Amino acid sequence: MTLMTSTQDTTIRKNGGVSSLLKLTPLAPFSLIFLFFFCWPIFQILKNSLDQGKGHYGLSAYRLMFTKPYMHAFTTSLQLSFYSSLTAGVIGAVIAFYVHRSKSGFKSIIAMLSGVLANSGGVPLAFMFIAAFGAQGGVVTVLKKLGIDIYGAGFTLYSLTGLILVYSFFQIPLMVLVFTPALEGMRNEWREANNSLGGTNIQFLRWVLIPVLFPAFLASILLLFASAFSAFATARALTGGSVGLVPLVIGSLIDGNVITDQANLGDALAVGMIFVSAVVMVFYGFSLRWARGR
Amino acid sequence: MRKNFAVGVVAAMVVAILPVATSSVSFGAVKASNATSIKDFGGMNGLVTACKKEGKLNVITLPRDWANYGEAMDLFSKAFGVKIFDDNPDGSSAYEVQTIKTAPASKQPDVVDVGVSVLDDAVGNDIFAEYRVATWDAIPNAWKDTLNAKYYGDYAGQIAIMYDTSIPFAPKSIKDLLRPEFKGLVAISGDPTQAQQALMSVFAASVANGGSTSNIQPGIDFFKQLKANGNFVPVNGNTANFAAGAYKVVLNWNFNGPGTVAAAKQLGKNVKFVIPSDAVLQGTPYMQAINKTAPHPACARLWEEFMYSQNKGKITSQLTAADLKLPGDKLFAAILGGQNIFISGGATPIQFPTMVAKKLNIAPPASITSYAGKLAAVTPSADSQAAAKKILVAAWPNL
Amino acid sequence: MKSRIFSGTRYLILGLGLVFFIAPVASAIEFSLRSYGNKGHTMANYSWIFQQEDFFTNITISLKLAVLSAVITVVTVVPAVTFLHLEGQRYKRIFEFLAILPLVVPVVSLAIGAQKAMPLFIQNSQYELAFFYVVIAIPYTFQSLNVGLSSIPLKTLVEASRSLGASFAKTVTSVIVPAIRSAINAAVFLAVTLSFGEFTLTSLLHWETFPVWITRVSQGNVLGSIALSMFSLIGAWTLLILVQSAQNVQKNRRSKSQVEEMEEATA
Repeated sequence: MTLMTSTQDTTIRKNGGVSSLLKLTPLAPFSLIFLFFFCWPIFQILKNSLDQGKGHYGLSAYRLMFTKPYMHAFTTSLQLSFYSSLTAGVIGAVIAFYVHRSKSGFKSIIAMLSGVLANSGGVPLAFMFIAAFGAQGGVVTVLKKLGIDIYGAGFTLYSLTGLILVYSFFQIPLMVLVFTPALEGMRNEWREANNSLGGTNIQFLRWVLIPVLFPAFLASILLLFASAFSAFATARALTGGSVGLVPLVIGSLIDGNVITDQANLGDALAVGMIFVSAVVMVFYGFSLRWARGR
Repeated sequence: MRKNFAVGVVAAMVVAILPVATSSVSFGAVKASNATSIKDFGGMNGLVTACKKEGKLNVITLPRDWANYGEAMDLFSKAFGVKIFDDNPDGSSAYEVQTIKTAPASKQPDVVDVGVSVLDDAVGNDIFAEYRVATWDAIPNAWKDTLNAKYYGDYAGQIAIMYDTSIPFAPKSIKDLLRPEFKGLVAISGDPTQAQQALMSVFAASVANGGSTSNIQPGIDFFKQLKANGNFVPVNGNTANFAAGAYKVVLNWNFNGPGTVAAAKQLGKNVKFVIPSDAVLQGTPYMQAINKTAPHPACARLWEEFMYSQNKGKITSQLTAADLKLPGDKLFAAILGGQNIFISGGATPIQFPTMVAKKLNIAPPASITSYAGKLAAVTPSADSQAAAKKILVAAWPNL
Repeated sequence: MKSRIFSGTRYLILGLGLVFFIAPVASAIEFSLRSYGNKGHTMANYSWIFQQEDFFTNITISLKLAVLSAVITVVTVVPAVTFLHLEGQRYKRIFEFLAILPLVVPVVSLAIGAQKAMPLFIQNSQYELAFFYVVIAIPYTFQSLNVGLSSIPLKTLVEASRSLGASFAKTVTSVIVPAIRSAINAAVFLAVTLSFGEFTLTSLLHWETFPVWITRVSQGNVLGSIALSMFSLIGAWTLLILVQSAQNVQKNRRSKSQVEEMEEATA
């Protein structure tokens, strides 16, 4: 099999030129739409971030970005994204595992439900959570009747912890939806092979299941991380700005009533977010290589 | 005799042709987008006719229950047969300016209502058109562009305490909110680094606690203490969250009163608005302006005449079919003027002193508690607002 | 897993999960059924929805955009990801990074950049939104297909299909697509629900679709706006069920014709 693949590769390399360009046609529609409807607008942002007004171009917006309040917003955003993606990722993976083992009818119901829940957010989501988990919320009241007072114990919905809780509502379904296809690739034969060779459950987990699923798991977590990093409407509806996050700061700079002479700082922050995600991708790449090396 | 007859015929012909001639002169000579006053349309009739021809008006960021803009839009729409499109009702002043700068021609707003903080940016980019309404002189000089008539103040409000009457203690001052009866109940209406209303609330807290309109720090300290007491709930003080029971007390513009009282009734709750006894924070007036590249320039100008009309008259539900058949100027005189509509929404219209002198103002709504104390109303200047924003960007997320 | 401990935890996890997901939705639904003045429960807030003019106009345009986005997504992303797994291995990491970007860049920035950059004939058509929805959904759809393709023995399938004489296009449609059915479903569901619920970008581009209309029309009517949000949630779910059933009908038709072919061949 490997022999066949290498001969295929050499054929491609020998022919080169037009035929190798034609081979790229499957990428064309995707690339065209991506370039036209995304890269081109984003190029404008990059241009704007360097625009200091009246025709000057420079890095003044970026210098401002490295001052304390904005750097603090970046660290808070990173904390939120890291913790929420990890929590939701693990929980989502476990749920995906149980869903995978159920009947196909149930599976598609869960898939549809996950699709709908994964796109919830903003004012409706904040409202739902306040109605259930706010200080006067339904669940909190029920728990009080059972003798458990979570607000008395210091829990509050309008904090970083609260945001992690609310974000999980759309991140766990997203994880289930994106990770379940990876589980479809598992084979029962591996299980049987492991058992016939005398392996225990733990050994199966450690040497077969986890290494195989790790790349897909990491890719899905990366998605959760990015979605938490950029979530805007939900954070604004819930906390009204008392938790400093980068998307909220960008929103207030570009769209707010109060500060209007620093719009290009908003663009610089957007470029900063792209840079941070590039760094995260590098870590992602290293983690994959490390996992394969084992 | 023959001479007199000839003169008579010529005179009759001139009299017959004159209205047609002058109106076509005013139509042809001055385009609607270049009109700088109602004279350029040949009077109210000409303006109404031109607007009816256009049939549409693009407004932006006007919530229906904000100073009763809902009634203003309904009345204008029904009286003149104009379809109004309201872009992003909950948007900010910066959004309005941004839209004029970036939106394609068909999506441009015709008129805007913005806070003072965006004026530098707007005027610097020369996006407004020159126009003087018929009642121009009744607008105080301090709140209009006296040089080029590009922007003009329309109404102002005061910061009030909104509270749910189910709380055992009725607050009368901002300092009252530190009491234990308000544990977990007090919110702010948004992010002070983003929303004008929230910024003014922090200023009000500052004035009430030994600060002033040029010093925001006591206001920040007040909210810090409110949070330490456990009274402050860092949630967005909007209606949905109120319905969910997230908060029961918030600082709001008094002209949001009628709308909030009505919304609370729907939820089976009772709320009251009261101007705090330790701070009377009057906001800088919002500014009306006409977009230079307005897609419907005649309707834009008619809207401004409407907004600055001091007439007493009919509201939307009182308009009859006969009214709609009236000629432009009579129809305009028969409907309630914009300045009075602002009063019905709980705001103070910019021409209020003139209206009181001429006894043209209607009575304010009953749900608004008017302030009867001795404190003078204070307003933070544009510069102190700018300085306060810079402090808040660092301080607010670390409350 | 046959051990008793695991089946116990399974039910505990399921229970906690149910509470976490059902409680917020149930609380909101209870709210949406409240009557004026909170004196009882009624369906009045839902009938109010249908009495609003422009309801059908806006829900239709959102449905059209959702279907269009789903189609464009499948047509563009499936071939691209397949190619990256087969022969474009060295480009794969770059595309994975690019695919994350629409999620990371704030929508506000994208909207402003788009209005400054796009030619007018595109900006004047509401169908530009479908393409933007596809782009915003790319992080989800790309990753879902990426994960799905990495879990099937892709090279084996492709070589087998090629050696039987199929072209690349036929391989994709008849061999790969059925193999990654659940991943494609996930991608389609995500594209559809995103289009049906996307608010921020649509509003910033000054278009009115169903979610934007909801916010505008329910000003001053809190119970109505809650009812509309719940309706939107249920509506999106119904849409997905319809999409799923349409796929099932197609699948049954195809497998039926295969059975008929076999019967003919053996007859």
